[in-house]
Amino acid sequence: MDKIVITAASRVTEASVPKARLGARFGRMDLASQLALLAVESLGIDFDGRPRDRIGICLGAWAGSLSADLEFWGGRDAAGGPSPILFTYTLPSAAIGEIAIRHRLTGANLCLVGKDTVLAEASDLLRRAEVEACLCVWCNVVTPALAEMIQAPPSAHASALFLQRGGEGLRELQENDRDIETLCAAFCAQNSTS
Amino acid sequence: MSGVAFAGCGATTAVGCGMDALRSALRANASGLRACARFDLPRFQSCVVGAASQMDTGSDDPAWNLADSALHEAREQAREALAAIPTERVGLVLSTTKANIEAMERLAEHRSCSEAARRHLRGDYLACDLAAAHGARGPVQCVSVACASGLLAIQQGAKLIQRGAADAVLVVGVDHLSAFVVAGFSALKAIDPNGCRPFDRDRRGLSPGEAGAAIVLVSAAKMSRPGITIHGWGGSNDANHLTGPSRDGSGLAQAMRRALDSARLRPEEIDYVNAHGTGTSYNDAMESTALRAVFGECCPPVSGSKGMLGHTLGAAGVVETILCVLAMQERLLPGTPRLNVAAEGVPSDCLKQPRPVARLRHVLKLNTGFGGVNGALILSHG
Repeated sequence: MDKIVITAASRVTEASVPKARLGARFGRMDLASQLALLAVESLGIDFDGRPRDRIGICLGAWAGSLSADLEFWGGRDAAGGPSPILFTYTLPSAAIGEIAIRHRLTGANLCLVGKDTVLAEASDLLRRAEVEACLCVWCNVVTPALAEMIQAPPSAHASALFLQRGGEGLRELQENDRDIETLCAAFCAQNSTS
Repeated sequence: MSGVAFAGCGATTAVGCGMDALRSALRANASGLRACARFDLPRFQSCVVGAASQMDTGSDDPAWNLADSALHEAREQAREALAAIPTERVGLVLSTTKANIEAMERLAEHRSCSEAARRHLRGDYLACDLAAAHGARGPVQCVSVACASGLLAIQQGAKLIQRGAADAVLVVGVDHLSAFVVAGFSALKAIDPNGCRPFDRDRRGLSPGEAGAAIVLVSAAKMSRPGITIHGWGGSNDANHLTGPSRDGSGLAQAMRRALDSARLRPEEIDYVNAHGTGTSYNDAMESTALRAVFGECCPPVSGSKGMLGHTLGAAGVVETILCVLAMQERLLPGTPRLNVAAEGVPSDCLKQPRPVARLRHVLKLNTGFGGVNGALILSHG
């Protein structure tokens, strides 16, 4: 079995969103999809020359789509009814669709809600050879309005890793690598000091 | 692929509470879609839905009620297999899109809402509480990949067993009918005012539904008889559109081919396909195209179950897989309730009515979802 290699890591916060230049579609997305897409963009991966049908996407969403849910439901009494565009983002996995469309990635997908545990599932996909490479994204979006409802602190950030079977990269994925956020924070800290 | 077997199932759906109700509906090709007064308002496109009307409609925690009821039944069916497995080796995978969204509606409107109901607004907490209540002290996951969630949750359950993280996994799918979801699909103009008619010439959209559905998966080695097993799976993304399927069906075809490869089966070895079959114009056309791409002109019999149960979202993959298990046990190809005149282009053997068969060896189950996600699962018997 080939080793699994981390080839790129990134971390973005809400502050990066207004500066993003990712087209008109980006402006219509919910915050979680924007952050996830930005985190993937920040990896700097050139997908040309890679088999797009063998690249998976594994997403972890700490609070699912609850921020978008609350925004959608807030518009329930609007003239003409709630927004159909917003409704499409009331799924925790909406960001997978946006990433897949932007980069034309047709490999297997998974989205887990809750704790940052998706790394183990991404490495399982790679070990089983269901994919050759995998975008691993962790998204934590709790808007102030939602924070009160679910009694959690507000947050808005995303982290991303690109994993592949074999080859060269930042380093090999270890058995004790548990969560994306810790790994990305460590890589980003390393970059800022080097 | 090392064997993972079905040890028990449970379901609470629009056709009734329990597996007997589902079996009867399968035999009678019955539809559970009905007009529901709660949704008979101008803001909703239709009040015809698949409601599990035997459940307490005044509850603030309907997601819990549906999932809990299904889990009780599935565990009872699997009692013998589970008895030999320590609880710390039993995992739980929840499949849901909206968990207990009822709580959000109540909190936003300042109506009463218990702490448990509020907690179950989060799918991961709902999963943890279900695991604690049903003796699953092993790994717990909450899978949410739109309407393909159920098939992916079953795959996750099988993977946990195959990689040795658990000896048994309770896979439970749940989504409850809510003003939130019916308003959302109304905004998208995706609901058939008269109730969904999958693969019909006159289909005009889906019908929202609700269900709690549970499957107990165990390592086939732990079963006295292997019975029905998971034989393979495949996934893909259309990378095309957030809410609409790709017109050419290439994404779903890719998922089917991957499932066939992983099961080491040829297309002609599939005896029956249970389609996603939402009843929307584009989905059913895309699915027909994808089936033609994989099976050519020799497509096995195909049917869809959403005319029976409605579109149960995160529960769909689980409850429709349970229907496949029943079909294999009963040696009965399911019909497509509410299908009257098949649309042009649908597979030639699209079943209106159930059909007895001598044997069902390999069954292919399909689901697709918003975000372009596709899932395919192959079940095999003996």
